[in-house]
Amino acid sequence: MNVFSGLAALAKGMAVTFKEMLSPTIVENYPDGPGPLRGAMFQERYRGVHVLQRDENGLEKCVACFLCAAACPSNCIYIEAADNTAEHRISGAERYAQVYNIDYNRCIFCGYCVEACPTDAITHGHGFEVATLNASSLVYRKEQMLAPRPALQGQNAVFSISGEEQLKAEREHGGVGRWIE
Amino acid sequence: MADVNITVDGRKLTAPAGTLLIEACKSVGIEVPSFCYYPGLSLQGACRMCLVEIAKMPKLQTACTTVIQEGMAVTTASDTVHQARKAMLEFVLQNHPLDCPVCDAGGECELQDMTFSYGASESKLIDFKNHKDEEQWSPVVFFDRPRCILCYRCVRVCGEGMDVWALGIQNRGALSLIAPNQDDHLECEECGMCIDICPVGALTSGAYRYKTRPWEMNHVSTVCLHCADGCKTTLGVRRQGSGNQIVRGDNRDKSGINGDFLCIKGRYAFDFIEHPDRLKQPLVRKNGTLTPASWEEALELVALRFREARDTDGGASMGVIGSSRTTNEENYLLQKFARLVLRTNNIDHHRTADFPAFVNALSGRAHATASMRDVLSAPAVLLIGNDPTYQHPLLAWQIRTNVRLHGARLYVVNSWPIKLTRQAKEFLQIPEGAEDKAAAFLAGDDSAADALLTSKTTREKLAGFREKLQGEQNLVVIFGSELRGQELAALVRAAARGAKYICLGDHANSRGAADMGLYPDLLPGYLPLSEAARFGEPWKSVPQQPGMDLEAMVAAGKERKLRTLYVVGSNPVARYAIDPFALAETFVVVEDLFLTETADLAEVVLPAACAYEKSGSFTNTCGDLQLLRKAGDCEGVKPDLEIIVRIAELMGFDIQQLAPLDPSGMRADFGESRGVQSGEVDQQAIWNRRQGYEPRVSPFNPFAVLKEIQRVVPGYNVGQLELLSGNDVHTATAGRAPGKTEADRFILPSHENLFTSGTLGRYSDVLNRVIEARLRLPNEKEKEIAAD
Amino acid sequence: MADLVSHPDEVRVVSKRFGEGATDIDRYLALDGYKATQKALTMGADAIINEVKASNLRGRGGAGFPAGMKWSFVPKQSPKPKYVLCNGDESEPGTCKDRLIFEHDPHSVIEGVIIAGIAVDSHQGYIYLRGEYRYLIEIMEKAVADAYARGFLGKNIFGSGYDFECAVQTGAGAYEVGEESALMESLEGKRGIPRIRPPFPAVVGLYGGPTVINNAETLANVPHIILGGGEWYASLGTPKNGGTRLFCLSGSVNKPGVYELPMGYNLRKMIEVAGGIWNGRKLKAVQPGGSSVPVLTADETDIPMDFDALMKAGSMLGSGAVVIIDDSTCMVKYALRVMKFYQHESCGWCIPCREGTDWLKKTLIRFHSGGGVRRDIDNIQYLAENMLGRTFCPFGDAAAMPTISLVKKFRQEFEDHLEGKPCPYEDHGKIEHLPVLTAWDHRTADPWAQAH
Repeated sequence: MNVFSGLAALAKGMAVTFKEMLSPTIVENYPDGPGPLRGAMFQERYRGVHVLQRDENGLEKCVACFLCAAACPSNCIYIEAADNTAEHRISGAERYAQVYNIDYNRCIFCGYCVEACPTDAITHGHGFEVATLNASSLVYRKEQMLAPRPALQGQNAVFSISGEEQLKAEREHGGVGRWIE
Repeated sequence: MADVNITVDGRKLTAPAGTLLIEACKSVGIEVPSFCYYPGLSLQGACRMCLVEIAKMPKLQTACTTVIQEGMAVTTASDTVHQARKAMLEFVLQNHPLDCPVCDAGGECELQDMTFSYGASESKLIDFKNHKDEEQWSPVVFFDRPRCILCYRCVRVCGEGMDVWALGIQNRGALSLIAPNQDDHLECEECGMCIDICPVGALTSGAYRYKTRPWEMNHVSTVCLHCADGCKTTLGVRRQGSGNQIVRGDNRDKSGINGDFLCIKGRYAFDFIEHPDRLKQPLVRKNGTLTPASWEEALELVALRFREARDTDGGASMGVIGSSRTTNEENYLLQKFARLVLRTNNIDHHRTADFPAFVNALSGRAHATASMRDVLSAPAVLLIGNDPTYQHPLLAWQIRTNVRLHGARLYVVNSWPIKLTRQAKEFLQIPEGAEDKAAAFLAGDDSAADALLTSKTTREKLAGFREKLQGEQNLVVIFGSELRGQELAALVRAAARGAKYICLGDHANSRGAADMGLYPDLLPGYLPLSEAARFGEPWKSVPQQPGMDLEAMVAAGKERKLRTLYVVGSNPVARYAIDPFALAETFVVVEDLFLTETADLAEVVLPAACAYEKSGSFTNTCGDLQLLRKAGDCEGVKPDLEIIVRIAELMGFDIQQLAPLDPSGMRADFGESRGVQSGEVDQQAIWNRRQGYEPRVSPFNPFAVLKEIQRVVPGYNVGQLELLSGNDVHTATAGRAPGKTEADRFILPSHENLFTSGTLGRYSDVLNRVIEARLRLPNEKEKEIAAD
Repeated sequence: MADLVSHPDEVRVVSKRFGEGATDIDRYLALDGYKATQKALTMGADAIINEVKASNLRGRGGAGFPAGMKWSFVPKQSPKPKYVLCNGDESEPGTCKDRLIFEHDPHSVIEGVIIAGIAVDSHQGYIYLRGEYRYLIEIMEKAVADAYARGFLGKNIFGSGYDFECAVQTGAGAYEVGEESALMESLEGKRGIPRIRPPFPAVVGLYGGPTVINNAETLANVPHIILGGGEWYASLGTPKNGGTRLFCLSGSVNKPGVYELPMGYNLRKMIEVAGGIWNGRKLKAVQPGGSSVPVLTADETDIPMDFDALMKAGSMLGSGAVVIIDDSTCMVKYALRVMKFYQHESCGWCIPCREGTDWLKKTLIRFHSGGGVRRDIDNIQYLAENMLGRTFCPFGDAAAMPTISLVKKFRQEFEDHLEGKPCPYEDHGKIEHLPVLTAWDHRTADPWAQAH
């Protein structure tokens, strides 16, 4: 009796093994994979390097309310606000962020800033290759994090961007949610 | 008044009869929310937030308009009350835009707080909100109607509080709006009290708009550096670049002598700090032009020349001019530097009031000076000369508020119907310049009456005025620099029976400069030179002959007998219209913020920190001592205290004899505020080690100097704990100022108004931009160049 | 001059001289004019107050406070001058009784003011006319001038040694100024905004002096009470509700107009007095006291019209304006019409009234034009209920009470407007289709731009 039940269990286990042997592999071939992400794959909710969004008119969504900085547990967001004028309009509201820095030495990617943002201006992108040999280059400026164009409603600029567009963005703006060395 | 017992939420409490229910609740810690109620202003009952249940009353009642009555049973926490509060907030949010993320008030908004505490979680509104575009009323006041909740606080504080009445209400119903009474802009005193008192972000400050958010700033309570009233101002400070930047001035901390009050200068005129013309590097004259130099080079040159002059021609050939805008510690140290290091009594400053005569007249009478707080509670006030509304705004506020809330009687003697005559019970208009005669008359000299007669002032009126004054108990007598010498003394002696006095100087530390002995013939505390020994062993070498005053120094300069002149934070060349060639052969050293007319003549110009950039203490014109707290930073400048000590050290003087080294002085600025990265802390420690001091002891410690002042200067022996906790402490006039009976002919009033502040005012953008600064026709006196 | 209506059931006291040419002072004297004043001068203050108390005369402005009692609250001694005010700021929609008094019998008001003055030992009276009643100023000013010319006003009136001055003043056209303390503010030249009470006007009123303020109809009744006696006057009405009253019957009736009927007259009969419902339609509802009282449905109309009976029925007698509504009227539109009035007239002083009326108006406009959603109905009731009793002055109640009653009693009509349906009770061609904006559109409107 014991022998049969033992064999049955063995067969069951091996069945899984053989089934997996025949099905295609799901190991990500990063960094040698195809496309601009070089094989990296993400869940949509992945919290990577931040992206600062634009509204449907192409204006920055950030109104420099400082709530992200207030919510940040590691105190890594630095903002300087300034007044919009009719001639020099950056954001939709009266105020915009003249300087918006995130110090990725300190950022813990908790997402509190995204939660706190009343205008959905700051979102998490999928940028993840932040490693560097120079710590001071980890302080990202606004220009490095700003989305190149408005996202579709309800979408994150990073999610909706195609590989080709992303390459173009990288050439023109230094990347979306990525760094520049 | 008798006490009344009431019950609030089951708690029994007792309060004086006549107390408002909202105040009674507050006294036991029960919060009754309100927008329109503001202590000290008239009652409105308009916001309906303070509705509470009172037993036996059919409807909810407003706690802010209900006076407590014996046996009243009040409920502030029932469901009905909560629903009423929630509904009020829903109503007020109907048209209120949800732009909190960009609103300046976000984070310190009473509507936000109340919505958080009492409001509904969801909006019931489906319809559109009424909108009106933002308006600019003046360079410093912006109005956003949709955010306005119409609590009418601004209208009341402007009218009742400031007596300006610049704001009114237009239209009715949902279209009601606060509007300036002058077309589309404000013509007022630009005090910004409306912005301060606004519970929401409807009124915003042009100087601070959209710059940062309240929680991003550190709030530093310090003392305003403009006029002599000594208002407490709260500076919002933000780290930016290499140090702290002052972003905002306001009146968050209402514990100061100014209570709710702050004028345009205290609120906005800190912007000179970042003026592009601000000196940030020492200048040394090379080949006839002032060229930038290092601190070491400049200081060594100064020390060398000072030492040469002292050692060859003696202290008599050297002059020192102090400032009425530097701290008590700096002034004390400066005269100590002159007397001990330079061995001269040639020290003077810009005198704006006859403080020595005042102190002389008061000698032997303890507690005879009034503090700024006394003006708010005095039963009667006599004001001779001066125009406090423009020259001493806080004093004017105190007088007005006292008349309005406590029914004080104000008597005004002036050559002009100044604005405060609106509050006056009696106004005596006298011919211009006859203030001294008026004082003599009030002191009992009938022969002085002839000089006082005008078309409006008859002999009967004069006599009646004097009679009424003689009947006043606990009178506070306030006079400007018009009164000097014997008339001042006669007045002070005449009014008795608990009368207290205030002598009005003009600058932030005019009184302090006088108290600290910036006189050629008086030591700190108005002591005669013969008493120098009481200050300690080194003082025995102080010359016994009075030194040269400013005029004599200039005369000596003309005769080529003045070898050096050390000017700290003053501009005598412009202010006293000194012939520039008089100082041609003199080695002039100037410490200032800007390249003033005097600095332009100097051989060496040293960039100094202003009072917002250092710690120390100021004595206001009433004699209230308050601590300054360092708020901002300016790269490249040094506090005057440090400069004086460094010069003394380079001259080879044992600085332990000059600057006390007190290890308990923990609050010295070691540069921590600028961060360890600047290396300043380390440099300080190395320097100390080299000098053989403990690493933590700083010779630039204003608090150690203050301790010495408290020990040796008569009248300054006040409680340190009170001072350190940020309170104002009234100093006594314990000095004697012997022989000071003749009028001081060097007194030159500054004639500042609300929109000028000497050199600082010239470099303040806001003060120059408001239209009132241009609209107000300057009188002859104000045409004089603004300096100091 | 408007045509006068009449009915056999009328008991003419105040309206006795209507249509008799009593604006002319000689004609007025011939019709027993100024006899009451002369009698009052001999009676003395206490006797006058007792006579008025005995008459059960209650204030005709809306609140129904006994007039004699009001006068007795005025302190006998006062360091400041005392005043008598006649409140002629008749602005309640549907009310037009004071207008007729001023138009036909101005001297009776002057007499009333003088008698009230004698009763409280005041020497200055003001007659405050509604801003829109410009055409009545001439009549009133002429009447006052005539009275001065005859020595009935001024120093030593009727040779009695008593001085009494009187002036006529108009407002600038604000409903709110009908509130007594707002009227005083307006009279002092300020914004017509009510004052905090207490202190009540009888103690601190106009210019800080003790003040008696009565409705024009109340004061016009006083001479008749003095002449006829308080008991006679009381016997005309019901217990506690003395005398007669000018009822302004308007709306869907054949003969609208002002009828003087005794207090306690049946409301159903009153509709018949006005000639019954027009065009053979059926009665739907009645607002028995002007636009600011709760409506009564057709079933509730069998009641006597006095202060107490109506209070019991959940409504109020108010200013005596009876608005009769037939079954062709859309009650949502009626609510909107009423709310438009209150939104326009709110003084804006306190939050619930200013914002509540504005919000309700916006909602009702959208609701009536077919943009309503189900939760709007509850929301309208919620807003009105939260205004009720919480505003600075009774204005908020006046706006809230009819709205609450309309939603409660005609909820079905509100539901009929739901889900994009345009008003089912109206000719569709007439409806103004307003754009339906929502808060989520981030769209806003600038009413200030439209106002100027």
